[in-house]
Amino acid sequence: MAWTDSRIFRAFVNDIMSNTAVFKVGGTDVFKAALMNNTGTPDRDAASASTAYNTGQWTAASNEVIDSSGGGTDWPAGGVSLGTETLTTSSGGIVMFDAPDTPSGSTADIASAFGCLVYDDTLTTPVADQGVCFNYFGGSNSVTNGTFTIVWNANGIARITV
Amino acid sequence: MRGVLLTPERRWECPNCTDTHLTHETEPHTPFHACRGLRGLTAPFVPSGIKAKVEAVERGDYVGREQVQTDGDGRPVMAVVTTRDEGQDCAVLASTATASARED
Repeated sequence: MAWTDSRIFRAFVNDIMSNTAVFKVGGTDVFKAALMNNTGTPDRDAASASTAYNTGQWTAASNEVIDSSGGGTDWPAGGVSLGTETLTTSSGGIVMFDAPDTPSGSTADIASAFGCLVYDDTLTTPVADQGVCFNYFGGSNSVTNGTFTIVWNANGIARITV
Repeated sequence: MRGVLLTPERRWECPNCTDTHLTHETEPHTPFHACRGLRGLTAPFVPSGIKAKVEAVERGDYVGREQVQTDGDGRPVMAVVTTRDEGQDCAVLASTATASARED
């Protein structure tokens, strides 16, 4: 199997509503995007613990894609911070989680990135680094001695319609 | 002794349209613009004087119900790739992760 789409984790919504986990958007918590290869199949219905970075589908050793040169600093293991993310509630029943575009350093070597896991790097309990969503790039993407940038959709990184 | 803070000035251009740009950032950065030459896609500028090719890469998979990014003709695009003599940059146009509570 492989990537097919982009989804918000069911556990993310459930854990917010049940006050099991507290995600603080807007500069308090650090949210990151970690690049992933096409080895596994992202599952929106995964349990909370299996949505976290470096667990299950999102295991660093086998599934994560990082900068392979210069010590990996241009896109390190664990991913790159989203910067100042925002939560907006426009009209039309939309709640949108968004952030500025996310670039690597300028001399990255990154091969075969198919998508990314967006997770809360600050959250420690009950599940450390719990996932928010996964975003599919639509195929394999690479850079050589260059900059890898995730340009987020105008509709946001994640979008809930009620 | 007093020091003078110099503000760097970098000029940028697009090989696919006539747009130019000027930045004063000290950190490494790449400005983007809505490129008329790439049918309105969000595309990176390249430093003035650098030979480079900037191309759109069509999505390699089905769109399905994904909220993908498209060019002005409605074609789904997954990335804009810049090829330079010494390397290659890639700006992936990520789709939006969605959830819906609507049952109507």
